[in-house]
Amino acid sequence: MPAYELALLLRAMPKQELKSTLKRVSHAIFNRGGIIRNIENLGFRAMPYKTSAHGLVHREANYFVFKIDTATQAVADLKEEYSRDVDIIRQRVFKVQNDCDHSCTLEEEMLPPAYREEVQKMIEVGKTQVNRFTYKFKYNSGLDYYPFQK
Amino acid sequence: MSLLNTFFTKNIYSTTRRILVLTMRPSSTESSENNAPIEMENPYKKERRQCILCQLNITPDYKNYRLLSQFQSPYTGRIYGRHITGLCKNKQALVEAEIKKAQNCAYMPYYYKDKTFLKDPKLFDPQNPIRSHRF
Ligand SMILES: [Zn+2]
Repeated sequence: MPAYELALLLRAMPKQELKSTLKRVSHAIFNRGGIIRNIENLGFRAMPYKTSAHGLVHREANYFVFKIDTATQAVADLKEEYSRDVDIIRQRVFKVQNDCDHSCTLEEEMLPPAYREEVQKMIEVGKTQVNRFTYKFKYNSGLDYYPFQK
Repeated sequence: MSLLNTFFTKNIYSTTRRILVLTMRPSSTESSENNAPIEMENPYKKERRQCILCQLNITPDYKNYRLLSQFQSPYTGRIYGRHITGLCKNKQALVEAEIKKAQNCAYMPYYYKDKTFLKDPKLFDPQNPIRSHRF
């Protein structure tokens, strides 16, 4: 099962209601055979922009991040269910990407253009193509007339 | 008397010079064998430059919107380009992707920078880009 991150914005509500909402959200995951690895509460704060959801305009929200493992097919299902939930203002699902080790290429990028690999490749490509600026029409091309305007 | 004096000094000078040459010669021939070039790395080679995120081994994350907001213009909320941020291609692409994620999740504003982060330390100077502006 792939790992997903579920970023949820819940509407402003008292603690008891929030608790029941979180329970509802997590039960939806469990019912589809998923597991929750971690729940992060990023706090209650003003949103950077107002959002309207389910006929109401929201300016503040409770920010939560669920780290879940679930089947890929269940994700669309979950999204559909959460979209009907009036307590959820916004929900986004992201796949957790594993850290890839790569070395910094800043040194190569700071070289003068002629020494950069991508520029050298571009020059190679340019050599294989007809240069429109220096191309000259040859009269012995089989045509008995000059095809362009003089 | 004066002639004798000059002769005497000249004599001393020539003898001392001969002694000096004699003492120098054997030492110079001996050190020529030790003076052979030594195999070593170029001591003037500069250290490999790294961008600030690679240096500190940071992977940008959409939840860390405070870090991401440092790559955003305080006036327009636009993401600064690679010629200003001085990041390598890989990290710049990651930062841009994560900022877009954070903005979409309503962690970060689109058109301005969060006013609580305006006094955060500056990672780079937009007025002095590492490559010149198009404008
Ligand atoms: Zn780098």
